[in-house]
Amino acid sequence: MAPTEGANASSTSNTTPNDLKSPGTPPAAETPKTLPPPETKESLRLRQWVIASFWAVVLCLGLPMWWKTTAIYRADLPLQHMTDWAEGKICKPVFPLRIAVEAPFQLPDAHNLIRTTQHALDDLNEFSAHHLRLILADIPVARNASQQMVTDGMGISSNDRDIALLLRLIPVETGTTPRSMLQTYATRLDIYYAAHQIPSSSSTGSPLATFIAEELHSIFAEEQALLAYQLSTNVGALTPKMKAPSPEKVAELERQSTRALKYAPTYHLTFSLFSPTSVPSAWEIESALQQYLAPLLESFSFISNFTVDTQVQLYAGFSPSIRQPEYDDNLKAWTLRREDLSGFINAAEWPLSPSIGVGPTVNFVLYVPDQLQSPLLIKENGGNSWLVPQWGGVLILNPPTSGKNTPTVLTKDALAPAMHAFSDQLMSLLGFPQTPNSLPLRLATLERVRAASLLFSASSTLGALARLTKALPSIPIPDTVAKSVDLTIAHLQQSCDSLRDGRFQGALEHARTAEVEAEKAFFERSMVGQVYFPDEHKVAVYLPLLGPVAVPLVMSLLKEIKSVVR
Amino acid sequence: MFSSAKVLLPLLLSTCALAEHTSNWAVLVSTSRFWFNYRHLANVLSLYRTVKRLGIPDSQIILMLPDDMACNPRNAFPGTVYNNADRALDLYGDNIEVDYRGYEVTVENFIRLMTDRVSEDMPRSKRLLTDDRSNILVYMTGHGGNEFLKFQDAEEISAFDLADAFEQMWEKKRYHEILFMIDTCQANTMYSKFYSPNILATGSSEIDQSSYSHHADNDVGVAVIDRYTYYNLDFLETQVREPTSKLTMGNLFDSYDEEKIHSHPGIRYDLFPGGEAAARNRLVMDFFGNVQNVDIDGGSGKNETQWLDELKAIDNMIEEAKRRHNESLHLQPKPQHVVEEAGAPAAEQSVRKEGAVRVDEESGWAKQLVGAAALLGCVGLWAAGSWFESL
Repeated sequence: MAPTEGANASSTSNTTPNDLKSPGTPPAAETPKTLPPPETKESLRLRQWVIASFWAVVLCLGLPMWWKTTAIYRADLPLQHMTDWAEGKICKPVFPLRIAVEAPFQLPDAHNLIRTTQHALDDLNEFSAHHLRLILADIPVARNASQQMVTDGMGISSNDRDIALLLRLIPVETGTTPRSMLQTYATRLDIYYAAHQIPSSSSTGSPLATFIAEELHSIFAEEQALLAYQLSTNVGALTPKMKAPSPEKVAELERQSTRALKYAPTYHLTFSLFSPTSVPSAWEIESALQQYLAPLLESFSFISNFTVDTQVQLYAGFSPSIRQPEYDDNLKAWTLRREDLSGFINAAEWPLSPSIGVGPTVNFVLYVPDQLQSPLLIKENGGNSWLVPQWGGVLILNPPTSGKNTPTVLTKDALAPAMHAFSDQLMSLLGFPQTPNSLPLRLATLERVRAASLLFSASSTLGALARLTKALPSIPIPDTVAKSVDLTIAHLQQSCDSLRDGRFQGALEHARTAEVEAEKAFFERSMVGQVYFPDEHKVAVYLPLLGPVAVPLVMSLLKEIKSVVR
Repeated sequence: MFSSAKVLLPLLLSTCALAEHTSNWAVLVSTSRFWFNYRHLANVLSLYRTVKRLGIPDSQIILMLPDDMACNPRNAFPGTVYNNADRALDLYGDNIEVDYRGYEVTVENFIRLMTDRVSEDMPRSKRLLTDDRSNILVYMTGHGGNEFLKFQDAEEISAFDLADAFEQMWEKKRYHEILFMIDTCQANTMYSKFYSPNILATGSSEIDQSSYSHHADNDVGVAVIDRYTYYNLDFLETQVREPTSKLTMGNLFDSYDEEKIHSHPGIRYDLFPGGEAAARNRLVMDFFGNVQNVDIDGGSGKNETQWLDELKAIDNMIEEAKRRHNESLHLQPKPQHVVEEAGAPAAEQSVRKEGAVRVDEESGWAKQLVGAAALLGCVGLWAAGSWFESL
């Protein structure tokens, strides 16, 4: 309003000189006409307030709001700590195995024997992370415990689970001495010795001590190799004291690790009977599984759970894409070539992966060939079963040749050889070691190897998560991830401590939890990065919206600043 | 001659020394909808049929089809999809498992599939459950351009997204080797941004080049297959007859004839360990089939009586463990145990229910609160403005 009033005022003031008709005035009168009159103080102030309030809204309300709504939430992760775990800087897993020695002679002699044996053992050991420590068993108690164990048949059920092996010295008069016997179903090694072989307290070495050390070393050789392999493939560096294993050994370990299934908390076992004809149409699988497989699964339950289902499929021949079997006159059998075995499984038509349940499926296929193509064997070794790495096993069950027809029902006894083969295959799929010849010891070895491998895999998942967090700034990281990471680290630490103390059961438990939590953190559902936005896209989104708004705002601010400066 | 053999020998040895793969997976993706893109779906279905024939089971094939050509009302041959004008082979057949279909085929779902960041209730058949011993064939086809591939005419995946997805897979050890194959316009740009190791990539056309269809079926009314895919299939179907085939990726790449394909197919070797030579020595079956080194050694060599003894021993062991467990239970005061048992399931149930309700309610309430606050704020601003005006 003010400027118009001013204009009116100037026009009224112009009329007076015109009325005077002064010839010199017109040029002077033109100049004030083009210039706006000076603004009043209030109007100037008002305009400044308006501009300031607009900017205040933009800066105090708009900007934080925009920042808040477009920011990607990234919880704080202990990145350095995670990387250190992955690189093995925090935890160097060690496996101290306690071996109780039960000696029926005087204490000083026993101590002396243990000392010399320990020396010999330490000299033999090439892998410093895994060491055997001999301790003297409290004789009366150990006596009772061992007797109880004899009646139980199983050493693993002994009360002190932290003792890896019980060494029992038994004096004998006859036979070659010293000799040893490893109990097949107990964690006990019996050493038979002659009385004169006990080292005197002054001697520093004795044949008995050396013998015991060598025996112990050979019992735990495979376990050492397995653990050393784990360490070298995961941490990348062998411990300096460890000499490189022979190439054959490495190849064998490589083969074993290729075969073994990846760890899962639950495995699903599918037993399938396939037949290209209409027989056999039934099998006594339930009782067979109950008798032949359930004990095995039960004994693995400290590592993983198992669910089982079975199926029978008739008129389901093997894959048509492989070469048909040929008749071998020497074997008097139809033969399949080894290279065709992998293609034998008719993946297109056999319903093998039920994709139910939570765990990966392990398949065991029992194939009963057509009467016309029976017996069906493998050309190379004349066998009838094979193992497919990380997948399962196949067995061709040839019906007895004496019978005229394939039986319609496979009895439990007829299934026994198949179940035997399947349980062997399952053991090697689970990474069960082959030596020593004592079941509880092998289970304990598996426990330690699994604990180590879970420890490594959870650590490496942490490292991967840390690297990705750094590399991909566009993925959000919710608080649940941070929580899972903290839990993982806590359990890893506990697992590592348990290992150091020789509590392997606890170590495995913690490693399992750590693995689950680490997987949960890595595969957090909301951590999918927003689709890649190049900068041009951002300009294209913001410019049409903010451009028209920003131009008057910026221009007015600049104008105001200019006038203030002037 | 001798020198070349000398060069080859250590190379062969080194490839043998590498860890072998134990499973093969295939991710086959068509990204375009609508009837006139019939050929893209036919491309994918043809490849699906080939990998299945060569032994990859359905559970290890992820098939993404954004449209259903077989049931399209414009299809003159309902229920079928053909990739050739002779219509000798119905690709749809009667044994086909589509994992992602229709509007499920999105960029987000594809990236979720590759990185396995899926919800817990996702069925296993729709997940890529690979590990560090899995070879993966990733085949994509659709309409694309410089460094992008359109999904369903609605969104696009860029070469950067794809590269990041592969990097996440590599970090989590989700593959052993990947063969990435893409048939789209300017396809070679799609793999130019990859930076993760162990990937062999090939595409149908260079930058600023189109990828062309092979031929049209006049009765179907549209083009039925793309050229690059056609000649790949030609090789796979006529040369790779059975799973024991020893043809190499080099043979496949050498079969590409630019005269016939009408564009310049590209191959990227530099990410592959051992580079071009090692990549070309890989068997075709390492990616398109499912061949493993089976183990025919007869297990541990134990005889049957030993095995039965062992079973008996385990049985005893378990009995013993159970007995001791029961004993330890008996030591505890009994009533407490019963109460615990009775209480546990109920508590669990209520907790579960509460959890489900809580999530829904909370998110709902939070949203409503935000909305109400925003509305109130607007009203307040308006009121304040009018109050100022009235002054």
